[in-house]
Amino acid sequence: MDPLIVTQAINVLYGVSTLAVLALGLAVIFGLLGVLNIAHGEFVMIGAYCAYLTQAGGWPYLAAVPFTLAVCAILGVAVEWIMIRPLYRRPFDTLVATWGLSLLLRKIAEAMFGLGFRSVSIPLPGTVRLLGTEYPIYRLLLIAISLAVVAALAVWYGRSRTGSRIRAMVSNPELAQEQGISVRRLAAGTFVVGTCLAGLGGVMVAPLVPVQPFMGLDYVLKTFFVLIVGGLGSVAGLLSGAVAIGGVDSVISAATNAANGYFAVLGLAILFLWLRPRGIVARG
Amino acid sequence: MRAASIVVLIAIVLPFVLGQFWAYQLGLYALYAAAAIGVGLCWGQAGFLPLGQALFFGLAAYLSGLAFIAFADMPIIAVVLVPLAALASGLLAYAIGFVVFRRSGESGAYFSMITLALALLAFQIATSWNSVTGGFNGLKGIPGLPGLDDISDVYYVSAAILLAILALAGWLYAAPIGVLWRALAQNERRLKLFGFDTDQLKAVAFGAAGFMAGIGGAIYAPQQGIVTPQVVGFGLSAELVIWAAVGGRASLFGPVIGTLLVGSLTAQLRDTLPFWEVLMALFFIAIVLVFPSGVAGLPEPLLRRFARERPSKASIVAPGDPAARPPVTLALDGVSVRVGEVTILDRLSVDFDQAGIFCVIGPNGAGKTSMFNVVSGELAAASGAIGLGGATIAGLPPNRVSGLGVARKLQIPSVFPDLSIADNLAIALWSGRASKLALLDPRLRRWTSPMLKELQARYAFLASGARKAAELSHGEQQILELAMALLTEPRVLLLDEPCAGLSPEETAAVMEIVRWAAARLGGAIIIIEHDMSLVKELAQVVYVLHNGALLAKGSVAAIQADPAVRAVYVGGEK
Amino acid sequence: MSASRLVFENVTGGYGSTTIVRNLSGAAIAGEALCVLGRNGVGKSTLMKLLLGYLPCWNGRVLLDGEPIDGLDPSARHRAGLSYCPQERPVFDDLSVRDNLTLMRPSRRLTPFRRYFDRFPILERRLSQHAGTLSGGEKKMLSFVRGLAEDQPVVLLDEPSEGVQWENILHMEALIAEKKTAGTAFIVVEQNLAFAERIADRYLVMDQGRIMLEGPRSQIDRSHVLAHLHV
Repeated sequence: MDPLIVTQAINVLYGVSTLAVLALGLAVIFGLLGVLNIAHGEFVMIGAYCAYLTQAGGWPYLAAVPFTLAVCAILGVAVEWIMIRPLYRRPFDTLVATWGLSLLLRKIAEAMFGLGFRSVSIPLPGTVRLLGTEYPIYRLLLIAISLAVVAALAVWYGRSRTGSRIRAMVSNPELAQEQGISVRRLAAGTFVVGTCLAGLGGVMVAPLVPVQPFMGLDYVLKTFFVLIVGGLGSVAGLLSGAVAIGGVDSVISAATNAANGYFAVLGLAILFLWLRPRGIVARG
Repeated sequence: MRAASIVVLIAIVLPFVLGQFWAYQLGLYALYAAAAIGVGLCWGQAGFLPLGQALFFGLAAYLSGLAFIAFADMPIIAVVLVPLAALASGLLAYAIGFVVFRRSGESGAYFSMITLALALLAFQIATSWNSVTGGFNGLKGIPGLPGLDDISDVYYVSAAILLAILALAGWLYAAPIGVLWRALAQNERRLKLFGFDTDQLKAVAFGAAGFMAGIGGAIYAPQQGIVTPQVVGFGLSAELVIWAAVGGRASLFGPVIGTLLVGSLTAQLRDTLPFWEVLMALFFIAIVLVFPSGVAGLPEPLLRRFARERPSKASIVAPGDPAARPPVTLALDGVSVRVGEVTILDRLSVDFDQAGIFCVIGPNGAGKTSMFNVVSGELAAASGAIGLGGATIAGLPPNRVSGLGVARKLQIPSVFPDLSIADNLAIALWSGRASKLALLDPRLRRWTSPMLKELQARYAFLASGARKAAELSHGEQQILELAMALLTEPRVLLLDEPCAGLSPEETAAVMEIVRWAAARLGGAIIIIEHDMSLVKELAQVVYVLHNGALLAKGSVAAIQADPAVRAVYVGGEK
Repeated sequence: MSASRLVFENVTGGYGSTTIVRNLSGAAIAGEALCVLGRNGVGKSTLMKLLLGYLPCWNGRVLLDGEPIDGLDPSARHRAGLSYCPQERPVFDDLSVRDNLTLMRPSRRLTPFRRYFDRFPILERRLSQHAGTLSGGEKKMLSFVRGLAEDQPVVLLDEPSEGVQWENILHMEALIAEKKTAGTAFIVVEQNLAFAERIADRYLVMDQGRIMLEGPRSQIDRSHVLAHLHV
């Protein structure tokens, strides 16, 4: 097989799987709780900066994981309590408040690290021979981890006790309350899971992207479009959206340039908004 | 008028007071303020948040810059092209608004995210399209406006532009369209049921805001001499939102105050105080969560104390007579509605074939409110026909159904709480009577009609026009909403439990209005009711719904004797 | 004298600015069923929401075993001993029948449900199906079984017989009787008089948000009840 084609194909697979894992956090918060957290990209940014700090401090890269989880969890709890919980029935106000939060997080990052790009070195450098071409090991690892995380979360959501209770809360919150589920606490916990997933995504992609305060914007938009096109509230929706958006973006960016890729993604999102607003996998 | 002359005076005197440096700064920020006013229009008036407004500022700036460069020998042509550049921004904004609002339902999130994406895309294009935009370094060497050399000249041009935009915004806010925008932000569903195309209203708001930003951008290019991608991207878009919020997004001057104060302060302090921007972000969050009226809201308690009752101007009788339309019959034929797996209406066939008062009763889940929803166009029928006087209305959106003479009073009193009673009633008068262009005429706010006068004679509180609708008691709000529905002089009036939660006196009053309206309007009044004593008093014919279909129809006595009805209400062995 | 488990005194409440029910008083007594009767729109479901904590009482109070529970939200009231089977949306459509039954139980074992499955075999047949695919009556049966199996001292049922076939309504009656013998207190909202007559020890007949008739079933004339139920 033509090595160029193999490389491109794996690139597309890489683009799709990382997009899927980055969209997980938003899928949980927007897809399940119905809260559009515009600061989602900033939680990814936090994960990336945590990875940077971990590496700068001389720690092994994996130490960035508990570090990020701690930061994103504490921040998630605080944010949920201050601005999400009081605004549950007011989606527009939640939008404005989380936009303010994203601004704040960006400015804090700017004050701490400056506007310049930080680079995180790849923890597993080198390439491996695959299907007649050399491909970076770390990227392959990311593909594997992304798919594993998505699969694990899907299984947990579908089979576990807590997953069933979250599903119950999402589909019929009144009945859930009646049966003894403290919806407030479960929703708060779900939100924190969402922010932590975003942070984890940031740790994963940090070595491969420029780490700077504005990196989150791109992610929140792309993952939002993944959910619009794919459909809210299901893993199938997340995956189909990631394939559609990630695929279009990768292919067109590689063929022409990044601006065209962006244009194509936006065009696809608006097309779906017009023709199929509930997405590919419309729930219920 | 007084306030306006004070503002103009301040604008003229400012450069002498503050000196050349500040005159220059303010000259620049006045252009940003024009764009911020647009953000205030969208967010503070119409209730949606544009996160990429710099797109329109920057687009016009690039167009204007290119024009001034191309016509460097004949700058007068470029000057003529300035308003056209702004118009281009405005039209693009209208087009985007039209496309997005039609489909995004009432979710503001999709709109905001798409405007954000567009600003980022514009930044990418501006940075990479070197041949046209000069790429990352920008479009350089733009000649200045002809005949202006002094810094204070530049300032006066900017100030004049800003004052013109303020005048435009002030006019729009005072005109009926401004009232409609504010109503839209408070209760979009209710506004649609009055026949207004809310998607188009939002698109017009966005278009106006785009135009305002465009004017600012078009003057920016010759004034600054250079246009870089920063002017079209996310950073400026975000600042416009912050300035509008901090200054006070819902007021006319708020965004200007925010831009001039915060904008110029930030420019000064950004480098000296490293945490200034973090503080600004915290301040923004605090304003949004706790103090939405912003800086402009601070003097409000003071102003209220000194507010004088403005002498009311004479009212104008509304033109047109909707009652001149011939009465119609409403008929549903085999209408089925399904939501997911549940059948809500099951081949429902109901015929309201005469004028008069009819009551619809039935157990919970029988489909009564759903029947109203499908008639008013809010619920889609999977099959079946709905006819209004022979014309089919199934599939029409709510504002079109309303335009054909169907009015509705919702179950929970649904008025525009932050608007005055006078504005609430005016909206009802404009419904079906005001052409789209007439909505720009502030005189329409003084409309009245013979029917309104009669209602005000019966209910004095309807005449205390300045009070906010939210201040009314529950019973008064029910009557206000009923009055608004009647003012559209509908041919078919749908009332959903009009007496819910009313005292016995209030209930008697409502019954009296209903009888009066039936005689006065000559159309059909269809009432969903549970209270059988009311049904007995009012109904000429009673329709019983059960499981989404018509179970029985007849006089009250006939219904009471019907064994099928008895079985539904009392139950029995199967 | 049996103990009053759940007592409501002079409760008044509604939605937004609309008052729906006024000055309602009554009690759920251990081993007995109180049937709340009335046409729809009279406020029966509103009363339920007040008892469960979905709506605040604007007046009056609700006591569970003598303790006021007005400050508790619905999930806390459940933990305090109230079970509820709602009238609308009685099950979790997206979960399987099995998950609906065992969601809040310590284990997923179905042995405690044996006697319920014996009476409603269809539920056992559909264990792995999504509850959303059940018919309306089957959903009611599922909700009924879940609620009774919670083995709580007070059970509130909101139109449990709606859409249910007569033979299964008789099974419901038998199960309620078994529970009553074990000391459970019931409040049952019903529009179906035939069913109410079989299970009620006391009636509470409502109209226009108020109590019209109230007392032991044996002392209330059927025709009076009918007059308030029928249009």
